[in-house]
Amino acid sequence: MSDAPRPRPRAFRLDELEPGQSRDFVLEARPDAYEAEAALLADPAERAAEEAQASGFLRGASFGWAGLLLSSLGGLAAFSFGLWLDQLVELLFARSPALGFIGLGLAGLALLALGALVGRETLAILRQRKVALLHKALALAHETDDREMARRKVGELVGLYHGRQALAAASAHLSDLRREIVDGRDLIEIAERQLMPALDAEARREIADAAKRVSLVSAISPRASVDLIVVAAQALRLIRRIAEIYGGRPGLLGAWRLARAVGAHLAITGGMALTDGLAQQIIGHGLAAKISARLGEGVVNGTLTARIGLSAISVCRPMPFSTEKAPGLGDVAPFLFSNSGKSGENPAGPQP
Amino acid sequence: MSALTDFLSEARNSAANLADFLSRGRALRLGVTGLSRAGKTVFITALAQHLTTLAHAAAEGRRNPLPVFRLAAEGRLVSGRLEPQPDDHIARFAIEDHVAALTGPDRHWPQSTRQISELRLRLDFVRRKGSGASPSSLVIDIVDYPGEWLLDLPLLEKSYVEWSRETFAASAAAARATLAAEWRGHAIGLAPSGPADETEARRTAELFTAYLKAARGEAYALATLPPGRFLMPGDLEGSPALTFAPLPLPEGYAIAPGTLAAMMERRYEAYKNHVVKPFFRDHFARLDRQIVLVDALSALNSGPAALRDLQHALDEVLAAFRVGRGNPLSRLFRPKIDKILIAATKADHLHHLSHDRLEAILRQLTARAVARSEFSGAAVDVIAMAAIRATREAAVRRGRETIDAIVGTPLAGERLDGDIFDGETEAAIFPGQLPANPREAFRGDALATPEGEADYRFLRFRPPAPTFGTDGKPLPAPHIRLDRAFQFLFGDRLS
Repeated sequence: MSDAPRPRPRAFRLDELEPGQSRDFVLEARPDAYEAEAALLADPAERAAEEAQASGFLRGASFGWAGLLLSSLGGLAAFSFGLWLDQLVELLFARSPALGFIGLGLAGLALLALGALVGRETLAILRQRKVALLHKALALAHETDDREMARRKVGELVGLYHGRQALAAASAHLSDLRREIVDGRDLIEIAERQLMPALDAEARREIADAAKRVSLVSAISPRASVDLIVVAAQALRLIRRIAEIYGGRPGLLGAWRLARAVGAHLAITGGMALTDGLAQQIIGHGLAAKISARLGEGVVNGTLTARIGLSAISVCRPMPFSTEKAPGLGDVAPFLFSNSGKSGENPAGPQP
Repeated sequence: MSALTDFLSEARNSAANLADFLSRGRALRLGVTGLSRAGKTVFITALAQHLTTLAHAAAEGRRNPLPVFRLAAEGRLVSGRLEPQPDDHIARFAIEDHVAALTGPDRHWPQSTRQISELRLRLDFVRRKGSGASPSSLVIDIVDYPGEWLLDLPLLEKSYVEWSRETFAASAAAARATLAAEWRGHAIGLAPSGPADETEARRTAELFTAYLKAARGEAYALATLPPGRFLMPGDLEGSPALTFAPLPLPEGYAIAPGTLAAMMERRYEAYKNHVVKPFFRDHFARLDRQIVLVDALSALNSGPAALRDLQHALDEVLAAFRVGRGNPLSRLFRPKIDKILIAATKADHLHHLSHDRLEAILRQLTARAVARSEFSGAAVDVIAMAAIRATREAAVRRGRETIDAIVGTPLAGERLDGDIFDGETEAAIFPGQLPANPREAFRGDALATPEGEADYRFLRFRPPAPTFGTDGKPLPAPHIRLDRAFQFLFGDRLS
């Protein structure tokens, strides 16, 4: 590298030209590189995802009177339950020792099951939290091109998908690469290209299926209340499925937190997505509603489900979209906007 | 005795901190650190200009000039304004004069700073939703000062004999020997044990000052030249505290009272006690965040010897700061710098494709300071930055070759490639390529490399042509990564 002669510094004067004069070089304008760099650093879609994750999984305990009331009432309830159990077992013993032992055994089994459930929930929440932290760290490492952090976090990412047959080859390849590639940003981008497309496609399929089901059910359901239940149930199922695809394992409480994060993401991106989703939604709704009011309802509910699915992708994905393009409404539910023909817009909308 | 005074000044600091905290609430002291010509004044001007006009940018339909600075991008900035500064005995940072200099009909960079000045900026903003969407405000205090004075901080740890020996050793190095010849010739002939003679002291101090000033000259761009007040005396010109010079003293020399050496030592100590210590105590001992501006390009222009010299100077200066992660209590009484941004200024003088290499060289320049800060728990980042961007990028195609160049108006008198610029003509400049391996830039003994032999040459440009807002006031000039610097330095305090 240092052996080759370096090009010498040079100056090309750009004075006003006399008539008849000409320059022996051509000046070509170039697009501003710093704007592109700033856009990359200030990507609103990525910030929305991080903020939503933070409000769902990463929020620390905060003091509130309502929380205090609930926890103290919960404590009292636990006490009364214990008291009741104690009395029950004593009563059983009073009647016959055999009954008493059976009662004690049953109470023990119930406690064991409760402990296992709590443990599983805690693990599930911790795992979801780990995915969110991984997302944040990978985004930061990509942004700052931090080699050490990229290596460590890509290792964790591979660990997250340990035991998945479909990703085994890609994971092995990445584990090898982790020792070779120097540049942190490249490593993360390669990891994304290797691991994510399969998962993204699966998630997209899930969203499409859910959206189809919801719009079909809304179009033919006899009552509005049935719609509501179907949409809610499908949305919750969809969120859980997507979390599982990306390596989370939401339990009951975990699903609640996940739903909270998705809700936060919808709320944040709702303002930004005006240009994309809502316009399409209104056009779609208008056209379909002209044919039939029920059909129009189906389109709206389907779009809503698809939006929830897209938010769930942003929140559950363990890394930001950097080389892969973030899917838009048109990608997951093209059948809802068959007239628009365009697809692939970022769900979070273009730069403001 | 010295332990007691240290303790007292420490106690005074803590008390001042507590008072500050109680009276101002959320406040942040930003230390803008940089040797002379590093671009402190321009940085502070750009910072104040951007932050005071940012809130109007959206209202006037202008593009957000600081997209990475999240406060504005998230629409949470209510207003930014200058406020009366806390200390009445210190000059106010003359932002109007600097803006006028940069945007006036004869636009030029601000004169080098000659005295301390202060600026206080208040940002009113809305907190993030998560923390209760409540209105809040942050006060940012900034101090501008002549960069030369920063060189004095390492002196606090050195005795007169130590300093004399170091200065003599440094001036004997190949890079400086010719510059220092006259002063050295005179000083070698002095007898430290001779009688204290005022004329003699003045003569040798004058020669010593001349040597320092020559080494600071543009062609040489040397940096390690304490004491700083010799270069920029401020209001101390001619006072006895500035009339001393190092003497050729052997190691462990015991200074007898009444001699020339004793007089010099007394003045050296007076300089430390009455000039350096108050400066450090009032302006640097209580910082929350620090930005270190480094003009690596002039040192690169001069040669590897100047670069190594800059490395040494930065290392010594940065060692004087109190760095580390604090806790809520220490934030009240004894703040530490918990985030340091090291920025290579004037990044608009080279193409953005070279910025990675410039950052690598900057990392090498500040490697020890970075390691020390990271070890103590502070967050450190290194960027190439331009507070005011005077050039744009373009490609020059001649025949079959295409060169990435920057286009701007070089300052009058700058020369490159046989051209001498007049300060009016625009030119497309290819400044050459920095080495891929940063260590290569430090190898060799060249100093004041002539233009024809250098692998790279970074010209200085005139400030960009100003643009004006609807109210006729100048808008902030374009920049490079200033928003990233803001986000790093105080983004977390604005959430």
